[in-house]
This record gives sequence, C-alpha cells and structure tokens, in this order.
Amino acid sequence: MTAASDALPTDYGPLVRELQHRAATRRQPISGTFELTERCNLACRMCYVRHAPGDAERRAKELSATEWLELARQAQDNGMVFLLLTGGEVFLRPDFFEIYSKLTRLGFIITLFTNGTLITDEVAKRLAESPPSRTEITLYGATASTYEAITGVTGSFARCCAGIEALVKHHVPLGLKTTITRQNVGELDAMCLMAHNWGLPFSSGWLLGKRRDGAPSEVVDCRLSASECVTIEATAQSPAAAWAEFALQEASLWHDRNFNCQAGKTSFVVDPRGEMNACLDMSFPAARPLEIGFHDAWVQVQRFVESVPPMSPICLACDVRVIYCPRCPAWSYLETSTFTEPIPYLCEIARARQKRYQTQASEIERNAR
Amino acid sequence: MMKRKSDFIRVNIADEKLLVPVGTQVMVLNGLITLNNTADCAWELLAKERSLDELAAAFAERFDITLERARADVQTFVDEIARLGLLEP
Repeated sequence: MTAASDALPTDYGPLVRELQHRAATRRQPISGTFELTERCNLACRMCYVRHAPGDAERRAKELSATEWLELARQAQDNGMVFLLLTGGEVFLRPDFFEIYSKLTRLGFIITLFTNGTLITDEVAKRLAESPPSRTEITLYGATASTYEAITGVTGSFARCCAGIEALVKHHVPLGLKTTITRQNVGELDAMCLMAHNWGLPFSSGWLLGKRRDGAPSEVVDCRLSASECVTIEATAQSPAAAWAEFALQEASLWHDRNFNCQAGKTSFVVDPRGEMNACLDMSFPAARPLEIGFHDAWVQVQRFVESVPPMSPICLACDVRVIYCPRCPAWSYLETSTFTEPIPYLCEIARARQKRYQTQASEIERNAR
Repeated sequence: MMKRKSDFIRVNIADEKLLVPVGTQVMVLNGLITLNNTADCAWELLAKERSLDELAAAFAERFDITLERARADVQTFVDEIARLGLLEP
C-alpha cells in the first residue's frame, strides 16, 4: 500500500452511505480493515507503511490465520459487514487463502487491496472460486521505467500487468487506481487508458501521508503542489459542482467533529500485530481485541476518537476549514506529532480548493436557503 | 414448490436487514439486497421448501391479513427474488 488515504474501502454508493450514517449513531462497527501484514515485495518511495518482505521479526509478530478468523467472528457478532483486507502485500502471506476462504463463507462484503504482482493464473483462479466484491490494484505508472522507478523492483510492472490480466481472465471483480506522485503524474492519462483498455474502472488519489511509524520516507519529494492536486481533482474525479455538493453534504454531518470520517463511529482497523486502531494512518489506541474481547476494544477506539482534543484555534478560525480542508487528527499527528495543529501543505490545498470551488459551493448554499 | 438459495447471508446494519451474496454468487449479484419486514419473513420461511399456498397462509397468520392479500404480497415477493436469481432452480 502506498497512501492510507487511498486505502479507504470502496465507495458502495448512496444506500451504503445512508446505512453508514445510521450505523454511526449507534456506533455499530460495520466496516473493518484487517491489515494482514506490513511487509511488501515492492519498495515504493512514498509508502506510509512498507517493511521488507523478509522481515522475520515483523513476520513473527503477525497474527496467525486462526487469530484473524477468531477476530472476524467476534467482529461479525458486533456488527461488521464490510471487510477490507490489505497490507503491505497480502499475497506475501503463504496462509492467505487459509484466511480468505473461510472469511468468504462468513457473509462479509470483502474488498481486497493488492499490488497485483504476486497474482498468478492459479491465484486468480482460486479467487474466482469465491471472489471478493472488489479487488483494487494500484498502478504506479503506465511504463516499466516509471512504475519501477517508484516501486524500486525490476520486473514488477510486467508482473503487475500479468496479475491484472489473470484477474480479468477469471472475471474477478477488479478496479485499478493510482497514487499520483511527481514521478508518475505525466502518465496519469496513459494509466487511465490502460484501465479503459482492460475494461476496468480507474480512480486516482494524490494525498500522500508520511509513514505512520515516524520513520523517514521520501513522501515530501513525491507530493504534487497544492494547485496541481486540485487541478487533478477537478478534472479527473468529478465536476466542480458535484464535488462542492458532496463536500457540503459531508461538512453538514461532521463539521463539529475532530474526526470528520467514520473512524471510531462505524470503522476500525486491526494491524498485523492484532492492535485495533481508529484508522490506517495512526497506531492509536492500540486496543487488543484478542485479549480483552472485540467489544471492549471497539469501545476503546470510540473513546479515543471522542477524547482527541479540539483542533487548534488557528484551524477553528480558518474560513476554509469546513468544506475544503482535508486535515484530520491523524494527519496532524503524522506531520506535527500533535492531534491538533494545522499542516501547511493541507492549508495550501484547502485554499486552492476554495479558489476552484467557491462559486459552485456558494450557489448550492444559496439555493438551499 | 420453492426454496431460497443458500449462498446469501442475512446481516443487519442499524436494524436494516440485508442479504449479502457469498461464494460464486458474488459474480452473479455483486451487491446488497435490502429486505423489508415482510420480505425478511418470507426469506426466513423459504429456508425450507414451500409452496405459494404455504407461504401465503403463513403470511396471513403472521401479519393478520386476508389470505387473498397475503397471496398477492407473496407472489410479488417471489417474482422479485426469482428475477434476482435468489431461488433454487
């Protein structure tokens, strides 16, 4: 995985958004993320989590298949319906299908994130026997040179393409996405065309967060400028009016909260060591569901989210905060080691968004009145 | 006679009852199906093989409605789930 912001479960449409809002009022943990490993066979420069594939110490601390399945059963008893399996690279685990096959029989809506490079015809065939609702593969470029300049692994582009073709051949539900960086932005249109030629949906993300373990990374060198981000957002993802309408709807629901997302309301993450956290970007509160029970761990996540201090006075006074700013406590922590402080890069993005969308947003608000 | 397929699992989100496909059924119907109270009742009854008359009689008793109305309601539901491929062939 390269950017936690790309690692949010697939958008299931208006019905599920409505169900999420209703579940949030009851704190039903409908969406879980199981991060099966932090190890990955690629070495992307901007990745927020990656460790070496042969990291024996990390591997030894990963939950076993039996433990993941016990966790899934407890999560289901507490109301989990949507399950995202992610890494690292999930197919590095030799027991992946031991976990996956049993999970598919429990009745979850499963999404699978992978880089695709370990998907052989045999793996695709096994997935097709009980497919996830969606598989998402991240493309890092449209050419081997760009892709491999980012992943750092020779031959990975060809293996990724072969993995995609195997999944297409076996009709496994699949979507492609990219993490846009300074190094591959010039191939965005070409990647979109690749997806089109395979008959696959394509999406892109550009919000690159730092490593959650605080280790050095090259993410800052990979980020686009704020104006580049918003130009891409405005052209690649949705028309300005649609963006502004959606942003206003979301803002009306969450504007008074620190976490303006589903973290701790309907969603949680369990990391490879079995620690339950509010989201992929942070290692808090590190509750231990297999020791204290899922329910009590979920309560700890809720309490953590509710206990995070209010945003800084600078953010509270900011006129572009409510609709345009993507800051959240997790991002503040990654960038400033506090849950509250503003992040200059996100401030720039918020200003660029305001410039781009304010006409449409004002019009929608005027019409609503 | 009819019976529901076994490769759907009933789940709850905030008291909304939903059917989730499992196994290869995901290839056929990749989505969620919402059930209202009557549909949920019929789905439970169809865990065993039933005739339309048996379903209608159970509905009439459960919801305190006439047999005629129950038969019409059941027929609508059965037509819909047959269209979605939720019944055993």
